[in-house]
Parts: sequence; structure tokens; C-alpha cells
Amino acid sequence: MTDTYTIPADLLYTREHEWTRLDGSAARVGITDYAAKTLNDVVYVSLPSPGDKMKQTGTFGTIESIKAVSELYSPVSGTVRKVNSELLTHPELVNQSPYGEGWIMEIEASDLSTEEPVLLSSIQYKEYLASLGK
Amino acid sequence: MKRTPLYDFHVAHGKLVEFAGYDMPIWYSSITEEHLAVRNHSGIFDISHMGRVIVGGVDAEPFIERLVPTYSASQPTGKSFYTLLLNSDGGIIDDIIIMKRPNDYVLVVNAASKAKDLEHLENVSSSFRVDMDDVTDDTTMIAIQGPEALHALQPMSAVDLSEVKRFTHTRSRVGGSDATITRTGYTGEDGFEIILHDSGIENSSPAVSVWNELATRAVPCGLGARDSLRIEAGLPLYGSDISETTNPIEAGLSWVLSKGKTGYVGDEAVARYGMTPPQRLRRGIIMADKIPRHGFPITDLSARKIGEITSGTFSPLLRKGIAMGYINAPDAQVGGSVLVDIRGSPAQGKIIKTPFYDETAYGWKRTK
Repeated sequence: MTDTYTIPADLLYTREHEWTRLDGSAARVGITDYAAKTLNDVVYVSLPSPGDKMKQTGTFGTIESIKAVSELYSPVSGTVRKVNSELLTHPELVNQSPYGEGWIMEIEASDLSTEEPVLLSSIQYKEYLASLGK
Repeated sequence: MKRTPLYDFHVAHGKLVEFAGYDMPIWYSSITEEHLAVRNHSGIFDISHMGRVIVGGVDAEPFIERLVPTYSASQPTGKSFYTLLLNSDGGIIDDIIIMKRPNDYVLVVNAASKAKDLEHLENVSSSFRVDMDDVTDDTTMIAIQGPEALHALQPMSAVDLSEVKRFTHTRSRVGGSDATITRTGYTGEDGFEIILHDSGIENSSPAVSVWNELATRAVPCGLGARDSLRIEAGLPLYGSDISETTNPIEAGLSWVLSKGKTGYVGDEAVARYGMTPPQRLRRGIIMADKIPRHGFPITDLSARKIGEITSGTFSPLLRKGIAMGYINAPDAQVGGSVLVDIRGSPAQGKIIKTPFYDETAYGWKRTK
């Protein structure tokens, strides 16, 4: 069974399969369609708290299916401004809408000038997935 | 990688993973959907990877009696019973099902333990005139489980399934194929496990036919749901909850050790450790929040370590993390509160009796 994965063109990506949508220095974060399909039933997301400090590529918790535990990595450094508390009662939103209602957190990014260039464009992320054999 | 006779279906419809050297489906749609299908309707599982060994010959009966701690000679023909292979220290080599047929025994063993089990059987058989035949590759085994399992299987069964009582088996035909049908399972639900004797890896078409027809009435389920269902039912998994370093008493399986039985492998060790109460006990734990996993420490409320999780998952039925683990006997009271260390953070849990589900609403004893 092979899947095709949705990779919106207006987002930036990481090799750990997170996406970020930048609006000025506000960075909304979630996991990609590939990550959500690989996990399948998401049943738990550990949410950070507003005020928590994030570092680019630093881990901030886990996202879990019935069988698997996956680390969550922050795509950018900064301070958490908002978290999607809907995920506490409806973790399946990550599977249903990984780029929409399944968003995980919003960060006020602190180092975008140095960190944004390191992120992958949608084309680069698609190539990255292909290199993994996906 | 090994393949079962039903491999083509798994490739076409499932997400494959490696299990005990086999390419097996972990799910077809999702673990949640498949798990709930079994609890509410019926699901089918390819369990052909499990080892199937036929033990026959003039000394088959005394050999089996020597092999296991459960009385077997006195079991009626047609009985299917769960038992353990023990080593000489009384530790568990494997957990198995034995079906007593008119002239021989069928042993169903865990896939990952098969080589080890066969070696053990060879060793124990040295003074007995027995024949042992590993028929794993030449047969197919399918489980159908759930409150509607009988209803889903009956159209294909030549025998009236309501006559096949729990923990018994019969030889008949399923979908026209020679089959042993045993009313046993690994989910806690009513259901059957079917061995198709004439269809294996080389001649898979009859088995594929049976599976495809069952799939029109029952939901195909992968290993992911198989695991979440058996944890919810409180059933141990060899290699996780029981092993050569666990004994049946601490594992909560002392009912397998027939009272007063001697003359079996491990009997002296069982008598020895049976003289003192166990130091630790296998228990069920339900979490308030978060998901416990294999290896996580269990502590009391003052963070003193009292045990370890051996199997953990998220129950799709209860929408809570559930687990089994061993807890030091003095701290293992049912109803007690514990903490589980989840990657450095303590999470609240409660020790409860398994199965985790309400037995009046779910499971083969359901009344509702």
C-alpha cells in the first residue's frame, strides 16, 4: 500500500516532519501529513505551556498513537504563545487535519533571520521524503 | 522475511511490519477502528505465523503429561486448554494452547518461541515414543473474535457452532476446507480460531478464499489491535509480561498448575517457590492521564520504586492509558494508587483487576 502525502506549498518543514506557518514572527507548528499517516491513530499529544522556551530542533514532548511514541521537535527557537488545547480531548484532529485544526502550538520566534533559511521548502521536504523511500 | 498464506491480502490492504521474522499487518484501517470492531461486532486476524505442532505416537499422552503442569490425560477429547511450558527452574518457556484430539495433540505456540519450544519438546521426548510434526507452513490459522463472531462464521461452517463450547474444539469443514475449529482466543471476546489443515504457504488458495469470504462479514484486524485487545483483556504476552525469569504464581497464572500434580518438567521448582508467597505480582494499572509503556518504572506516591510496566497501551474503548506490570507484593493491593514514571514525569495510576472493561458489557461473559 503506498500513500501520497499532502505538502502545502506555503509552509516550511523540518526533517523531523514538523511544519511551520510564519506570519511575521508568529510561527504556528504541527506535524506533517506524512507523520500523521505514519502514526495513524493519534491518541495523545503532549502540549507545552504558554511561556515555555523553545529551541530550534529541541524536543518539547511526545505525540503518541496506540502503539508508538514519537518525539516532537520545535522548528524554531522562541517562546510559546498559544497551544491547541482541543488536542487534549480530540487528539484525532492531528490525523483529520494535520495542517489545519490539528495544529499544536504557536511560537513567538526569536531568531528567524538565522533559523528560517535552515527550514525546508515544500519542494525540499518532498525531495527529502523521496530520499527516505516514501 | 517469512510470509503467511494470506500475505497478498496484507500487502494490498494493510500496513506491513516485521514480527517474529514474518511480514505482518499492523493495521488495515486503524488500530482504533479494528479494536472497536472486535468489541462491538467481529474481527478476523491472520495468526498463521503462530507455530502449530502435532504430537502423536504411542506415548503421546504420558509425554504431554510430563511436558506441562496442567493435568492433560484426564482432559476429555475435544478439550482446548491453555498451559505453560516450564524450564527446570520453574520459569516460563512459553504459553501455549493444547488441543486434545482422539489420537494426538495439537500444540499452538508463539511464533517467536517456536524454535525454542521445539528444542524443548525434543529434549523432553527423549524417553518417549512420540512423533512430532511442525505443520506451521502447511496450514493456515485464522482467528475470528467478537460478539458476532459465531454469526459471521456460521454460514461457512459445516458444524453448528453453538455446539462448540468455549475451550473445546471440533474437526469439521470451513468453506469446504478441512478445519479444526476451537472456541478460544486472545481478545477476551467470544470467538473461534480456525486451523485450515490442507492450505498453507504452497497451496494457499483455499485459505485465501476462506479469509476473503470472512472479510465480507468481519473486519480484518492487524497485530496492533491484537495487542491492544489482549492488554485490555488482561492477557499476558510472552516476552513482555511472562518470560523465563517469571514464574506462573507471580504472573497470576497459578491456575495452570494443577493442584497435587507432580512428574512434570519444573515440578520441583514449582513446589519450592510455591512454599512462600510471591515477592511481586502482575497487576493491571489504569492511568488518569498519559500512556504507560513497557519498561517504565512504577513507584509509590513517595516516588519509591515498587515495580515496572511490562505491557502498556491506550485503550480505545476506555480512552485511557492501561498497562500490566509487576509490583512488589506489599505494594500491589488492588485499588491502590501508584505513580508511573513517564519519561521523567510521574503520572497517576490505579491498580485494578483485569480485564479493564466492564465484563457485563464486553467480553465473552457479557450479559447486556
